[in-house]
Amino acid sequence: MDAVAGAERMPSAVSQTREPLVYRHSLTVRVTHWVFALAFFVLVMSGLQIFNASPNLDASDKSDPARRVLSIGAQQLPDGKTAGVTTIFGHAFTTTHVLGYTSDGMSGEAERAFPGWITWPGYQDLAGGRRWHLFFAWIMILCGTAYFIGGITRKDVGLIVLRPSDVPKLLPMQLYYLRLRREPPPHGKYNPLQKAAYTSVLFVFAPLMVISGLALSPGVDAIAHPLTTLLGGRQFARLWHFVATVALVGFFGIHITLVLSTGVFNNLRSMVTGEYRLGAHDGNGV
Amino acid sequence: MKRREIITGAAMFAAASALAGCAKITNALNENDAIKSVLHAAEPLNHAVIGTRGEAKLYPDSAIDREFRVNGFDTPSDSAYAALRRDGFASYKLVVEGLVDRPQAFTLAQLRALGSLTQTTRHDCVEGWSAIGKWSGVRLSSVLALAAPQTRARYVIFHCLDRSSDGDPYYESLDMHQAAHPQALLALDLNERPLDADHGAPVRLRVPTQLGYKSAKWVGRIEVADSFKNVGSGKGGYWEDQGYDWYAGI
Repeated sequence: MDAVAGAERMPSAVSQTREPLVYRHSLTVRVTHWVFALAFFVLVMSGLQIFNASPNLDASDKSDPARRVLSIGAQQLPDGKTAGVTTIFGHAFTTTHVLGYTSDGMSGEAERAFPGWITWPGYQDLAGGRRWHLFFAWIMILCGTAYFIGGITRKDVGLIVLRPSDVPKLLPMQLYYLRLRREPPPHGKYNPLQKAAYTSVLFVFAPLMVISGLALSPGVDAIAHPLTTLLGGRQFARLWHFVATVALVGFFGIHITLVLSTGVFNNLRSMVTGEYRLGAHDGNGV
Repeated sequence: MKRREIITGAAMFAAASALAGCAKITNALNENDAIKSVLHAAEPLNHAVIGTRGEAKLYPDSAIDREFRVNGFDTPSDSAYAALRRDGFASYKLVVEGLVDRPQAFTLAQLRALGSLTQTTRHDCVEGWSAIGKWSGVRLSSVLALAAPQTRARYVIFHCLDRSSDGDPYYESLDMHQAAHPQALLALDLNERPLDADHGAPVRLRVPTQLGYKSAKWVGRIEVADSFKNVGSGKGGYWEDQGYDWYAGI
């Protein structure tokens, strides 16, 4: 999970002596990272397949159009064509060919919320989507457990947690990324923005994903009503599950951007062999 | 500028091909039988971990959906059901047979005489929507007890009066543990009125601890068996035969 390396090396840092290679990521972190990456893809895409079977999100316990937050549907036009319509908090947008009336995952278009190229499988198959989703949910749970056990036994999981002392460093770090500041604020293995990103993913959105997913299960709900109640009810849990997805997909976008822009070879190597060549502004790197 | 346009065009073409290819790949993986059987490993795991332990939440009357959304099939269209419906289900009998010591056939009046249990519970459809209804009827376990299942019995199979558009009869099944759950109900009424045809008249199953497809409508015959291998395609239910999990608690 922690491949976003620090900063680009400043031109002045290019000297005769190269910076040292450090062992940055343990085997557990590297293996769980790539399993996470695969499972994340399958879970997001199969999740959208499942969403398509009932393309509404309500901030309520049971389905309730009066408390509908998001709805992706289709509408017949007077000319006989079909339009895709996405409604967010009551505001309708025409989204034909993208959402609502879009790729059917085979060769045509159909009334469906998310297009075939982003669902798993491509064509409409709720049973298939659930099969992939429920299997990879287990992979994700086992992988997350391995990640945390590894971090706790190595005693280094704390390095990734955002602390109050990091908060004043967030803005300077952002300015450094935007090249509006010459030096990053002093930091350890992870810089303050990395800590903020990973802390929110590992301790906010991943747990939210797990508990909102469990709250959707009538079997789990029967064992633990308070869990579902805490989230505002079953349909609200479905909404939280979607919100967590949006957050994690957003994280993924930032993650990939930074992996590519801060030395893609070095970053990838650190997540394959564990070795990372320290940059001049990388903190202590380990 | 030219070079940038070529690069942008090439990138867009690559992205479009990748997107089009994506569905082809996921479709092919989805149909692979070996992969399918690996993915099915999650089902026994879910069954073991979640199972049927607690009781579904009971709601106050204020939460009831007066227009309860119809799940699954619409009213059966065959003449046998139409005939039953015409005489107000007076000739209907709920048969309980199979691995039981005392096979039974209950008229609706006899079922109602067994005592009425009312529970307002949420119906969670596998598609993702939920609705709340007030269900009254007879506890499944009371009906089964009268038939005295034998010790070999492992499953309770519900044979229904409806068929899919392909002509496959609808059926569902519970294991003995699920069938003994105090909330497993043979519902006769919805929202204080006898079930209407679309909601499964005259008798439907209600299993609030599992997804809606377990709550079979138009139950005609209950078979107690040691296996469901010989019914339908052998997966334990109509939707299970279409690829859905037999354990529907998640």
